[in-house]
Amino acid sequence: MALKALDIYKLLPKKNCKECGDPTCLTFAMKLAGGKADVDLCPYLDDQSKSVLGATTRPPIRLIKIGVGERSFAVGEEFVLYRHDKTFYHPPGILFKVSDTQEPEEITATTIRVRDESFTRIGTELRFNGIAIENASGSPDAFARAVTTVEESADLPLVLISKNTDAFNAALIQVGSYQPLIHAATKQNFREMCALAKKHSCPLVIKAHGLDDLAGLAKDCVTEGVKKLVMDISPQSPGDFITISTAIRQLVITRQSPDLGYPVFLDATHPHLQDAAIALGIVKYASVIITPPLSPASAKAALTLRQNIYTDPQKPIQMNPGLYRVGTPGKDAPVLLTVNFSLTFFTLEGYLESTRIPCFMLIVDTEGLSVLTAVAAGKLNETLVRDSIRKFDVEHEVSHKTLIIPGYSAPLSGRIEEATGWNVMVGPRDAAEIGEYLHEQWKNHES
Amino acid sequence: MGYDLHFGWTGAIGRVILGATRADGGTRKISYHIGGETTLPLLDKDPLSPTPLVALEICDNPEYWSPIIKNFCGDLVNTVDEWAKTAETVYGADLVRLYLTSTRQRNFSDIASVGKTLEAVLSATALPLIIEGSNEPRIDSEVFLKCGETAQGEKLLLGTAEAGRYRSIAAAALAYNHSLIAQSPIDVNLAKQLNILLREIGVQRDHIMIDPYTGTLGYGFEYSYSAMERIRFSALKGDTDLAMPMICSAIDSLTIKEVREAEPALQDEMAVRWEFYTGIAAAAAGAEIICVRHPKTVGMLKLAFAGIRSGADFTDVK
Repeated sequence: MALKALDIYKLLPKKNCKECGDPTCLTFAMKLAGGKADVDLCPYLDDQSKSVLGATTRPPIRLIKIGVGERSFAVGEEFVLYRHDKTFYHPPGILFKVSDTQEPEEITATTIRVRDESFTRIGTELRFNGIAIENASGSPDAFARAVTTVEESADLPLVLISKNTDAFNAALIQVGSYQPLIHAATKQNFREMCALAKKHSCPLVIKAHGLDDLAGLAKDCVTEGVKKLVMDISPQSPGDFITISTAIRQLVITRQSPDLGYPVFLDATHPHLQDAAIALGIVKYASVIITPPLSPASAKAALTLRQNIYTDPQKPIQMNPGLYRVGTPGKDAPVLLTVNFSLTFFTLEGYLESTRIPCFMLIVDTEGLSVLTAVAAGKLNETLVRDSIRKFDVEHEVSHKTLIIPGYSAPLSGRIEEATGWNVMVGPRDAAEIGEYLHEQWKNHES
Repeated sequence: MGYDLHFGWTGAIGRVILGATRADGGTRKISYHIGGETTLPLLDKDPLSPTPLVALEICDNPEYWSPIIKNFCGDLVNTVDEWAKTAETVYGADLVRLYLTSTRQRNFSDIASVGKTLEAVLSATALPLIIEGSNEPRIDSEVFLKCGETAQGEKLLLGTAEAGRYRSIAAAALAYNHSLIAQSPIDVNLAKQLNILLREIGVQRDHIMIDPYTGTLGYGFEYSYSAMERIRFSALKGDTDLAMPMICSAIDSLTIKEVREAEPALQDEMAVRWEFYTGIAAAAAGAEIICVRHPKTVGMLKLAFAGIRSGADFTDVK
């Protein structure tokens, strides 16, 4: 049961010492009540108050940071099951897997790829997040060598995977201070693994199948003093993964099972289900995904899906209004009007580029609304069109006065003609048909 | 620790039947009973719950069809019945979605040819069919009626009804007992509104599939994804005007920059992955039919849908 801010405030020291980072105990209490702060940030709470507050006030999923420096990433602190309920905050880290049985050159090549590869979409650089190193050889020396090979090429977040405590010891001597995620503590070895995680203050993956076993193991690790946990639910299939990860998300955000309040790990390695597992992991609550290096096509698709799903649905992405060129349009090129909703812009732009007819796109400011909603809300109207034609000096860019408007804005065609003195042609409703439209209607119009 | 992935939902998705076998008065080799879920499709552990179906999209005039598909399929795209047959026998699709792009030429009036094309496709493949008719109100009525009549008894899925134009297609569906696709622009309320309009002119709930409109990955997919989730949850919470199965077709996948500008050697691969990732994520949001245009995506999606639930060797390799 969640506590109210004032109930929490009563348990706080009321010193307003600011050591938690908040100006007053009351603001800290309000954050705790909203699940936005961790009770451990207050240095003056006694253990009893902490245990009362701890379970009900910390974020339902603990924030876990992996790696250090520029490329480090944090996962967890999610609050909803569905992105439309609010938003998803921390995109999953996707790490490429190498094995200590591979040649050092191969390991280096994968590391450099993750270090350097990026592609830009809508002004954001998309990258993979790090390297997972598997101790497939079983040998501590080979593991340490592989870890060193990776470390020599890049400062990337790491996941270290082994079944052997000696191997971890050997590897952590090299990279222990860089907060690698270590995989995995099980029911059998959790004491040794917790000791390692504590010694190097690394985040730790716990691995079990079944929610009771996972929750029990998480509790055991917390008792051992390790709270930076990530959970490997060791799924039997990608479907099993989304079933269990959905159950966990549901149980933790409703605070029915605070012991499961940690980010979820997914190993997507599979001869033919790898892409499916990655896609499902991205949409259904995986926070750390490891996979063998992806083909260029899978890499782009996976990163784009992650960007889409973790876009904040509360904020439409907008383009700057203006006159945009597709190709090198001449004075007789068509002028197509549309709204400044980025999606509309990019979709139309893509189709226009593939028609190979150079043209102008007149992007008007509908505050990021799509054509349909902008027409319905009256944001797209004849005054806006008239002012935009003037503002962006369209009359000097082309030698004609014909404007193609989106199909969904057809009801405005007469009013736009009156207000602007331009001829209006109503284009298709679906951008996919713009090529056909230009080839037939625009060409006809010219002749 | 117990958990319930039905989240207290009480509703169920209605069923739509596509394709009629000889026993039911058609000539299809299989009849799909789509829908029936009580939670999200991929969360359902019930082995009898339906696996998403994969439809290959083809057309009878490939002039404006993606050059990627024309290169990959070669001459096949010029013979629509052969293309349909290959979709079944080689590519392994569950359904064929035929776009009658021939009707989209200027001043098209040869309605009889629509019937002939459909007859040829019906005899070339035994798969249930989705037919995308005209795009032009002037000839809608004739085209849809021709399709409906030619394939009477086959239980087609006719596309695509929208808020501004649904009467012709509904008339054809009602007259010849076919189902139809109701498309609305990425909005749960507009989807509901269209379904109500259709209901008011007599189209039964079990004859409608919702097309929430799918923007491809990177081009609005997130909106479609959330619209699909919201449509599905409204249905599961008991809104019968939204309790229809969904069909999703990210037709922009082959024209976006990432695919169009890929190196020639990588272009097929890029197109396939783009359709694949979009399709898997759409299925996770509730889509029962995933439509794609690249033949290689069909096999990849089918393999994935079969493996997602059984998984077989998912843990063994680790």
